[in-house]
Amino acid sequence: MCSSCGFPSAPGHWTEAGATTPGDRMRARLRRAQAATVLLRPFGLSARDDGAVPGVQLSSAFGATEIVPDFDAVWSAAARMAGKPIDPLSDRFLGDR
Amino acid sequence: MTAEPGADRLKLVIVGGYLGAGKSTWLRHQLYAGAFPNAHLIINEAAELAVDDAIFGARYPLTLLSGGCACCEGQAAFLTSLRQLCDDRSRAAGPQGRTSIAVLETSGLADPAAIAASLRADPMLAFHLALSEIIVLVDARNAAAQLSADPLGRAQIEAADRLVITKSDLAPPSDTARLVATLQRLNPGATITAETRGEPVPLPDATGADPLPLADHATAPIRPVQIDLPKGLDWASFAVWLSALLAAHGDDIVRVKGTVRTPAGRLLLQGIRDHVQPPEILPDSDMARDGTIVLIGREIDADRVTRSLTRFAGDLL
Repeated sequence: MCSSCGFPSAPGHWTEAGATTPGDRMRARLRRAQAATVLLRPFGLSARDDGAVPGVQLSSAFGATEIVPDFDAVWSAAARMAGKPIDPLSDRFLGDR
Repeated sequence: MTAEPGADRLKLVIVGGYLGAGKSTWLRHQLYAGAFPNAHLIINEAAELAVDDAIFGARYPLTLLSGGCACCEGQAAFLTSLRQLCDDRSRAAGPQGRTSIAVLETSGLADPAAIAASLRADPMLAFHLALSEIIVLVDARNAAAQLSADPLGRAQIEAADRLVITKSDLAPPSDTARLVATLQRLNPGATITAETRGEPVPLPDATGADPLPLADHATAPIRPVQIDLPKGLDWASFAVWLSALLAAHGDDIVRVKGTVRTPAGRLLLQGIRDHVQPPEILPDSDMARDGTIVLIGREIDADRVTRSLTRFAGDLL
Protein backbone atom coordinates (compact mmCIF):
# COMPACT_ATOMS: atom_id res chain seq x y z
CA MET A 1 0.00 0.00 0.00
CA CYS A 2 1.20 3.54 -0.69
CA SER A 3 1.79 5.14 2.70
CA SER A 4 0.91 8.63 1.55
CA CYS A 5 -2.35 8.04 -0.28
CA GLY A 6 -3.42 4.66 1.15
CA PHE A 7 -3.91 3.16 -2.31
CA PRO A 8 -4.97 0.42 -2.78
CA SER A 9 -7.19 0.24 0.28
CA ALA A 10 -8.40 -3.27 -0.61
CA PRO A 11 -6.83 -6.14 -2.55
CA GLY A 12 -7.21 -5.61 -6.27
CA HIS A 13 -10.63 -5.48 -7.83
CA TRP A 14 -11.56 -8.86 -9.30
CA THR A 15 -10.98 -7.57 -12.84
CA GLU A 16 -7.29 -7.18 -11.87
CA ALA A 17 -6.78 -10.90 -11.14
CA GLY A 18 -4.77 -13.18 -13.40
CA ALA A 19 -1.55 -11.14 -13.63
CA THR A 20 1.24 -11.89 -11.19
CA THR A 21 4.34 -10.32 -12.70
CA PRO A 22 4.69 -6.50 -12.80
CA GLY A 23 4.91 -6.68 -16.60
CA ASP A 24 1.66 -8.66 -16.90
CA ARG A 25 -0.03 -6.28 -14.48
CA MET A 26 0.98 -3.22 -16.49
CA ARG A 27 -0.07 -4.83 -19.78
CA ALA A 28 -3.42 -5.76 -18.24
CA ARG A 29 -3.97 -2.18 -16.97
CA LEU A 30 -3.39 -0.70 -20.41
CA ARG A 31 -5.55 -3.38 -22.00
CA ARG A 32 -8.43 -2.79 -19.57
CA ALA A 33 -8.48 0.96 -20.33
CA GLN A 34 -8.56 0.15 -24.06
CA ALA A 35 -11.39 -2.34 -23.53
CA ALA A 36 -13.37 0.12 -21.39
CA THR A 37 -13.12 2.74 -24.12
CA VAL A 38 -14.76 0.34 -26.59
CA LEU A 39 -17.77 0.14 -24.25
CA LEU A 40 -17.74 3.85 -23.38
CA ARG A 41 -17.31 5.30 -26.89
CA PRO A 42 -21.00 4.98 -27.92
CA PHE A 43 -21.80 7.02 -24.80
CA GLY A 44 -19.34 9.81 -25.66
CA LEU A 45 -16.78 8.85 -23.04
CA SER A 46 -13.30 7.34 -22.97
CA ALA A 47 -11.05 5.70 -20.40
CA ARG A 48 -7.30 6.14 -20.01
CA ASP A 49 -4.72 4.52 -17.78
CA ASP A 50 -1.23 5.91 -18.23
CA GLY A 51 0.28 3.53 -15.71
CA ALA A 52 1.45 6.38 -13.45
CA VAL A 53 -1.71 7.52 -11.66
CA PRO A 54 -3.49 4.81 -9.65
CA GLY A 55 -6.94 4.08 -11.02
CA VAL A 56 -8.61 4.84 -14.31
CA GLN A 57 -9.12 8.30 -15.81
CA LEU A 58 -12.51 8.85 -17.42
CA SER A 59 -13.12 11.75 -19.79
CA SER A 60 -16.11 12.97 -21.71
CA ALA A 61 -16.12 14.59 -25.13
CA PHE A 62 -16.86 17.91 -23.39
CA GLY A 63 -13.72 17.81 -21.28
CA ALA A 64 -15.09 16.56 -17.97
CA THR A 65 -12.63 14.17 -16.32
CA GLU A 66 -12.74 11.95 -13.29
CA ILE A 67 -10.24 9.55 -11.71
CA VAL A 68 -11.82 6.42 -10.24
CA PRO A 69 -10.17 3.58 -8.29
CA ASP A 70 -11.60 0.45 -9.92
CA PHE A 71 -14.07 -0.99 -12.40
CA ASP A 72 -17.06 -0.86 -10.08
CA ALA A 73 -16.47 2.85 -9.77
CA VAL A 74 -15.82 3.23 -13.51
CA TRP A 75 -19.34 2.22 -14.47
CA SER A 76 -21.12 4.26 -11.83
CA ALA A 77 -19.04 7.37 -12.58
CA ALA A 78 -19.47 6.86 -16.33
CA ALA A 79 -23.24 6.46 -15.93
CA ARG A 80 -23.28 9.78 -14.06
CA MET A 81 -21.20 11.51 -16.74
CA ALA A 82 -23.23 10.07 -19.61
CA GLY A 83 -26.57 10.54 -17.89
CA LYS A 84 -27.52 6.91 -18.51
CA PRO A 85 -26.23 3.48 -17.50
CA ILE A 86 -23.39 2.05 -19.62
CA ASP A 87 -25.21 -1.11 -20.61
CA PRO A 88 -23.35 -3.49 -22.95
CA LEU A 89 -26.71 -5.05 -23.91
CA SER A 90 -28.30 -1.70 -24.82
CA ASP A 91 -29.28 -0.75 -28.38
CA ARG A 92 -26.80 2.08 -28.08
CA PHE A 93 -23.86 -0.29 -27.71
CA LEU A 94 -25.18 -2.92 -30.09
CA GLY A 95 -25.71 -0.21 -32.74
CA ASP A 96 -29.38 -1.08 -33.29
CA ARG A 97 -30.78 2.40 -32.85
CA MET B 1 5.10 -14.43 -2.21
CA THR B 2 3.45 -17.82 -2.56
CA ALA B 3 2.47 -19.19 -5.95
CA GLU B 4 -1.17 -19.03 -5.00
CA PRO B 5 -2.12 -15.71 -3.44
CA GLY B 6 -4.69 -16.09 -0.69
CA ALA B 7 -3.88 -19.76 0.00
CA ASP B 8 -3.05 -18.85 3.58
CA ARG B 9 -6.28 -17.01 4.29
CA LEU B 10 -8.83 -18.09 6.85
CA LYS B 11 -11.53 -20.04 5.02
CA LEU B 12 -15.11 -19.19 5.87
CA VAL B 13 -18.05 -21.52 5.29
CA ILE B 14 -21.49 -19.95 5.63
CA VAL B 15 -24.32 -22.25 6.70
CA GLY B 16 -27.64 -20.56 6.04
CA GLY B 17 -31.29 -21.41 5.66
CA TYR B 18 -34.70 -20.28 6.80
CA LEU B 19 -35.81 -20.24 10.44
CA GLY B 20 -36.11 -23.81 11.64
CA ALA B 21 -34.50 -25.35 8.56
CA GLY B 22 -32.27 -27.49 10.77
CA LYS B 23 -29.02 -25.53 10.55
CA SER B 24 -27.76 -26.30 14.06
CA THR B 25 -28.71 -29.96 13.86
CA TRP B 26 -27.05 -30.38 10.49
CA LEU B 27 -23.92 -28.54 11.59
CA ARG B 28 -23.66 -30.60 14.77
CA HIS B 29 -23.79 -33.81 12.74
CA GLN B 30 -21.23 -32.53 10.27
CA LEU B 31 -18.87 -31.57 13.10
CA TYR B 32 -19.37 -34.93 14.73
CA ALA B 33 -18.56 -36.64 11.43
CA GLY B 34 -15.39 -34.54 11.13
CA ALA B 35 -16.46 -32.39 8.19
CA PHE B 36 -14.79 -29.19 9.44
CA PRO B 37 -11.77 -30.25 11.52
CA ASN B 38 -10.52 -27.65 14.03
CA ALA B 39 -13.16 -25.19 12.92
CA HIS B 40 -13.98 -22.05 14.83
CA LEU B 41 -17.75 -21.74 15.02
CA ILE B 42 -19.58 -18.45 14.80
CA ILE B 43 -23.21 -18.80 15.74
CA ASN B 44 -25.52 -15.91 14.95
CA GLU B 45 -28.98 -15.60 16.39
CA ALA B 46 -31.29 -12.72 15.61
CA ALA B 47 -32.94 -12.93 19.02
CA GLU B 48 -31.34 -11.60 22.22
CA LEU B 49 -31.77 -14.92 23.97
CA ALA B 50 -29.42 -17.47 22.48
CA VAL B 51 -29.88 -21.20 22.81
CA ASP B 52 -27.87 -22.59 19.90
CA ASP B 53 -24.52 -22.30 21.63
CA ALA B 54 -25.71 -24.81 24.21
CA ILE B 55 -26.15 -27.38 21.44
CA PHE B 56 -22.48 -27.21 20.53
CA GLY B 57 -21.22 -27.16 24.10
CA ALA B 58 -17.59 -26.59 24.89
CA ARG B 59 -16.10 -28.94 22.29
CA TYR B 60 -15.37 -26.26 19.73
CA PRO B 61 -14.04 -22.72 19.97
CA LEU B 62 -17.21 -20.74 19.54
CA THR B 63 -18.22 -17.12 19.13
CA LEU B 64 -21.84 -16.33 19.83
CA LEU B 65 -23.45 -13.29 18.25
CA SER B 66 -26.96 -12.76 19.51
CA GLY B 67 -29.40 -9.92 19.20
CA GLY B 68 -28.93 -8.99 15.56
CA CYS B 69 -28.61 -10.70 12.22
CA ALA B 70 -25.12 -10.73 10.64
CA CYS B 71 -26.44 -9.48 7.32
CA CYS B 72 -28.06 -6.32 8.70
CA GLU B 73 -28.20 -4.85 12.23
CA GLY B 74 -25.69 -7.32 13.68
CA GLN B 75 -23.22 -6.81 10.86
CA ALA B 76 -20.80 -4.58 12.80
CA ALA B 77 -20.52 -7.13 15.64
CA PHE B 78 -20.07 -9.95 13.14
CA LEU B 79 -17.29 -8.17 11.26
CA THR B 80 -15.57 -7.23 14.54
CA SER B 81 -15.57 -10.85 15.71
CA LEU B 82 -14.12 -12.01 12.38
CA ARG B 83 -11.42 -9.35 12.56
CA GLN B 84 -10.56 -10.54 16.06
CA LEU B 85 -10.36 -14.11 14.80
CA CYS B 86 -8.04 -13.09 11.96
CA ASP B 87 -5.96 -11.06 14.38
CA ASP B 88 -5.55 -13.97 16.81
CA ARG B 89 -4.65 -16.17 13.91
CA SER B 90 -1.95 -13.82 12.67
CA ARG B 91 -0.47 -13.73 16.17
CA ALA B 92 -0.35 -17.53 16.52
CA ALA B 93 3.22 -18.81 16.64
CA GLY B 94 3.12 -21.19 13.71
CA PRO B 95 0.81 -22.67 11.12
CA GLN B 96 -0.11 -25.60 13.39
CA GLY B 97 -1.62 -23.32 16.05
CA ARG B 98 -3.75 -21.43 13.55
CA THR B 99 -7.43 -21.82 12.90
CA SER B 100 -7.73 -22.65 9.22
CA ILE B 101 -11.49 -22.65 8.87
CA ALA B 102 -14.39 -20.75 10.41
CA VAL B 103 -17.98 -21.86 10.07
CA LEU B 104 -20.73 -19.27 10.39
CA GLU B 105 -24.20 -20.47 11.19
CA THR B 106 -26.37 -17.56 10.17
CA SER B 107 -29.65 -16.61 11.74
CA GLY B 108 -32.70 -17.81 9.85
CA LEU B 109 -33.33 -14.23 8.74
CA ALA B 110 -29.99 -13.71 7.02
CA ASP B 111 -29.35 -13.29 3.33
CA PRO B 112 -25.97 -15.05 2.75
CA ALA B 113 -25.29 -12.90 -0.31
CA ALA B 114 -25.46 -9.75 1.85
CA ILE B 115 -22.97 -11.31 4.28
CA ALA B 116 -20.63 -12.23 1.41
CA ALA B 117 -20.85 -8.65 0.13
CA SER B 118 -20.02 -7.19 3.56
CA LEU B 119 -16.93 -9.43 3.83
CA ARG B 120 -15.73 -8.26 0.46
CA ALA B 121 -16.23 -4.60 1.42
CA ASP B 122 -14.30 -4.84 4.70
CA PRO B 123 -10.76 -3.55 4.13
CA MET B 124 -9.15 -5.96 6.62
CA LEU B 125 -11.20 -9.08 6.04
CA ALA B 126 -10.81 -8.79 2.29
CA PHE B 127 -7.12 -9.61 2.83
CA HIS B 128 -7.44 -12.26 5.54
CA LEU B 129 -10.54 -14.20 4.71
CA ALA B 130 -11.59 -16.38 1.78
CA LEU B 131 -15.23 -17.35 1.47
CA SER B 132 -15.05 -21.04 0.63
CA GLU B 133 -18.66 -22.17 0.39
CA ILE B 134 -22.23 -21.09 1.04
CA ILE B 135 -24.35 -24.03 2.15
CA VAL B 136 -28.08 -23.42 2.46
CA LEU B 137 -30.42 -25.85 4.17
CA VAL B 138 -33.97 -26.22 2.92
CA ASP B 139 -36.64 -27.74 5.09
CA ALA B 140 -38.61 -30.28 3.01
CA ARG B 141 -41.66 -29.94 5.19
CA ASN B 142 -41.99 -26.17 5.36
CA ALA B 143 -40.15 -24.83 2.31
CA ALA B 144 -43.29 -24.67 0.16
CA ALA B 145 -45.05 -22.38 2.64
CA GLN B 146 -41.94 -20.27 3.20
CA LEU B 147 -41.22 -19.80 -0.50
CA SER B 148 -44.77 -18.76 -1.23
CA ALA B 149 -44.86 -16.27 1.65
CA ASP B 150 -41.44 -14.66 1.87
CA PRO B 151 -38.92 -13.62 -0.81
CA LEU B 152 -36.11 -14.17 1.74
CA GLY B 153 -36.21 -17.97 1.40
CA ARG B 154 -35.71 -17.55 -2.29
CA ALA B 155 -32.79 -15.13 -1.86
CA GLN B 156 -31.10 -17.66 0.44
CA ILE B 157 -31.51 -20.46 -2.11
CA GLU B 158 -30.23 -18.29 -4.95
CA ALA B 159 -27.05 -17.46 -3.03
CA ALA B 160 -26.09 -21.08 -2.29
CA ASP B 161 -23.21 -23.13 -3.70
CA ARG B 162 -24.69 -26.25 -2.13
CA LEU B 163 -28.29 -26.92 -1.14
CA VAL B 164 -29.12 -29.53 1.48
CA ILE B 165 -32.72 -30.66 1.82
CA THR B 166 -33.48 -31.57 5.44
CA LYS B 167 -36.40 -33.38 7.06
CA SER B 168 -37.33 -35.19 3.84
CA ASP B 169 -38.46 -38.11 6.02
CA LEU B 170 -41.28 -35.88 7.29
CA ALA B 171 -42.60 -34.91 3.85
CA PRO B 172 -44.21 -37.08 1.16
CA PRO B 173 -41.73 -37.96 -1.66
CA SER B 174 -43.92 -36.18 -4.22
CA ASP B 175 -43.60 -32.91 -2.25
CA THR B 176 -39.85 -33.36 -1.99
CA ALA B 177 -39.68 -33.99 -5.74
CA ARG B 178 -41.49 -30.70 -6.36
CA LEU B 179 -39.08 -28.97 -4.00
CA VAL B 180 -36.09 -30.41 -5.88
CA ALA B 181 -37.60 -29.16 -9.17
CA THR B 182 -38.04 -25.71 -7.58
CA LEU B 183 -34.48 -25.61 -6.31
CA GLN B 184 -33.13 -26.68 -9.70
CA ARG B 185 -35.04 -23.84 -11.29
CA LEU B 186 -34.07 -21.19 -8.73
CA ASN B 187 -30.40 -22.10 -8.60
CA PRO B 188 -29.35 -24.34 -11.49
CA GLY B 189 -25.68 -23.99 -10.52
CA ALA B 190 -25.90 -25.45 -7.00
CA THR B 191 -25.41 -29.08 -6.06
CA ILE B 192 -28.46 -30.49 -4.28
CA THR B 193 -28.39 -33.29 -1.71
CA ALA B 194 -30.82 -34.53 0.91
CA GLU B 195 -29.90 -35.39 4.47
CA THR B 196 -31.94 -36.54 7.42
CA ARG B 197 -30.34 -35.95 10.81
CA GLY B 198 -26.97 -35.66 9.15
CA GLU B 199 -27.25 -38.92 7.17
CA PRO B 200 -27.37 -38.63 3.38
CA VAL B 201 -30.62 -39.94 1.87
CA PRO B 202 -31.39 -40.40 -1.85
CA LEU B 203 -33.12 -37.52 -3.66
CA PRO B 204 -36.49 -38.31 -5.21
CA ASP B 205 -36.65 -38.18 -9.01
CA ALA B 206 -37.71 -34.65 -9.96
CA THR B 207 -38.23 -35.19 -13.68
CA GLY B 208 -41.68 -33.99 -14.61
CA ALA B 209 -42.37 -32.54 -11.16
CA ASP B 210 -44.03 -29.11 -11.08
CA PRO B 211 -41.99 -26.40 -9.37
CA LEU B 212 -43.68 -24.82 -6.35
CA PRO B 213 -45.41 -21.44 -6.57
CA LEU B 214 -43.17 -18.60 -5.36
CA ALA B 215 -43.73 -15.42 -3.36
CA ASP B 216 -42.98 -13.08 -6.21
CA HIS B 217 -44.98 -14.24 -9.20
CA ALA B 218 -44.00 -11.24 -11.29
CA THR B 219 -40.35 -12.10 -11.69
CA ALA B 220 -39.27 -14.25 -14.60
CA PRO B 221 -37.77 -17.70 -13.98
CA ILE B 222 -34.03 -17.97 -13.59
CA ARG B 223 -32.22 -19.49 -16.52
CA PRO B 224 -28.58 -20.24 -17.23
CA VAL B 225 -26.97 -18.49 -20.20
CA GLN B 226 -23.71 -19.88 -21.49
CA ILE B 227 -21.08 -17.54 -22.91
CA ASP B 228 -18.10 -18.73 -24.90
CA LEU B 229 -15.21 -16.31 -25.00
CA PRO B 230 -14.62 -15.19 -28.60
CA LYS B 231 -11.31 -16.42 -30.04
CA GLY B 232 -8.46 -14.09 -29.23
CA LEU B 233 -10.30 -12.14 -26.53
CA ASP B 234 -8.03 -11.90 -23.49
CA TRP B 235 -9.14 -12.14 -19.86
CA ALA B 236 -8.34 -8.49 -18.99
CA SER B 237 -10.69 -7.25 -21.72
CA PHE B 238 -13.37 -9.82 -21.00
CA ALA B 239 -13.31 -8.86 -17.30
CA VAL B 240 -14.01 -5.24 -18.27
CA TRP B 241 -16.99 -6.27 -20.40
CA LEU B 242 -18.31 -8.55 -17.66
CA SER B 243 -17.92 -5.86 -14.99
CA ALA B 244 -19.96 -3.47 -17.18
CA LEU B 245 -22.61 -6.15 -17.67
CA LEU B 246 -22.82 -6.80 -13.93
CA ALA B 247 -22.94 -3.07 -13.15
CA ALA B 248 -25.91 -2.68 -15.51
CA HIS B 249 -27.71 -5.99 -14.85
CA GLY B 250 -26.41 -7.12 -11.44
CA ASP B 251 -29.90 -7.30 -9.99
CA ASP B 252 -31.00 -9.82 -12.61
CA ILE B 253 -27.86 -11.95 -12.58
CA VAL B 254 -27.89 -14.36 -9.66
CA ARG B 255 -24.66 -16.25 -10.27
CA VAL B 256 -21.60 -16.10 -12.51
CA LYS B 257 -19.38 -19.17 -12.83
CA GLY B 258 -16.61 -20.33 -15.08
CA THR B 259 -12.90 -20.75 -15.69
CA VAL B 260 -10.72 -18.56 -17.89
CA ARG B 261 -7.10 -18.81 -19.00
CA THR B 262 -4.85 -15.90 -18.03
CA PRO B 263 -1.11 -15.22 -18.10
CA ALA B 264 -0.98 -16.29 -14.42
CA GLY B 265 -2.85 -19.59 -14.92
CA ARG B 266 -6.47 -20.77 -14.89
CA LEU B 267 -8.78 -18.47 -12.99
CA LEU B 268 -11.94 -19.62 -11.28
CA LEU B 269 -14.57 -16.94 -11.62
CA GLN B 270 -17.44 -16.98 -9.13
CA GLY B 271 -19.95 -14.24 -8.46
CA ILE B 272 -23.15 -13.73 -6.50
CA ARG B 273 -25.34 -10.97 -7.94
CA ASP B 274 -23.08 -8.04 -8.82
CA HIS B 275 -20.29 -9.11 -6.44
CA VAL B 276 -17.54 -11.23 -7.92
CA GLN B 277 -15.26 -13.00 -5.47
CA PRO B 278 -11.52 -12.47 -5.90
CA PRO B 279 -10.80 -15.10 -8.58
CA GLU B 280 -8.71 -18.08 -7.46
CA ILE B 281 -5.94 -19.61 -9.53
CA LEU B 282 -6.65 -23.28 -10.23
CA PRO B 283 -4.23 -26.10 -11.02
CA ASP B 284 -3.96 -27.03 -14.69
CA SER B 285 -6.29 -29.99 -15.10
CA ASP B 286 -9.47 -30.65 -17.05
CA MET B 287 -9.04 -27.57 -19.23
CA ALA B 288 -11.72 -28.59 -21.72
CA ARG B 289 -14.24 -26.09 -20.38
CA ASP B 290 -11.92 -23.11 -20.04
CA GLY B 291 -13.29 -20.00 -21.65
CA THR B 292 -16.91 -20.93 -20.98
CA ILE B 293 -18.77 -18.73 -18.52
CA VAL B 294 -22.26 -19.44 -17.22
CA LEU B 295 -24.50 -16.56 -16.19
CA ILE B 296 -27.51 -17.58 -14.17
CA GLY B 297 -30.22 -14.99 -14.00
CA ARG B 298 -33.64 -13.77 -15.01
CA GLU B 299 -34.50 -11.92 -18.19
CA ILE B 300 -31.04 -12.18 -19.69
CA ASP B 301 -31.33 -12.20 -23.45
CA ALA B 302 -28.77 -14.81 -24.55
CA ASP B 303 -28.79 -13.49 -28.11
CA ARG B 304 -28.02 -9.92 -26.97
CA VAL B 305 -25.26 -11.16 -24.68
CA THR B 306 -23.59 -13.00 -27.57
CA ARG B 307 -24.01 -10.05 -29.94
CA SER B 308 -22.63 -7.64 -27.36
CA LEU B 309 -19.55 -9.76 -26.72
CA THR B 310 -18.95 -10.33 -30.45
CA ARG B 311 -19.25 -6.60 -31.12
CA PHE B 312 -16.94 -5.83 -28.20
CA ALA B 313 -14.31 -8.33 -29.37
CA GLY B 314 -14.63 -7.08 -32.97
CA ASP B 315 -14.05 -3.43 -31.98
CA LEU B 316 -11.14 -4.31 -29.76
CA LEU B 317 -9.15 -6.79 -31.82
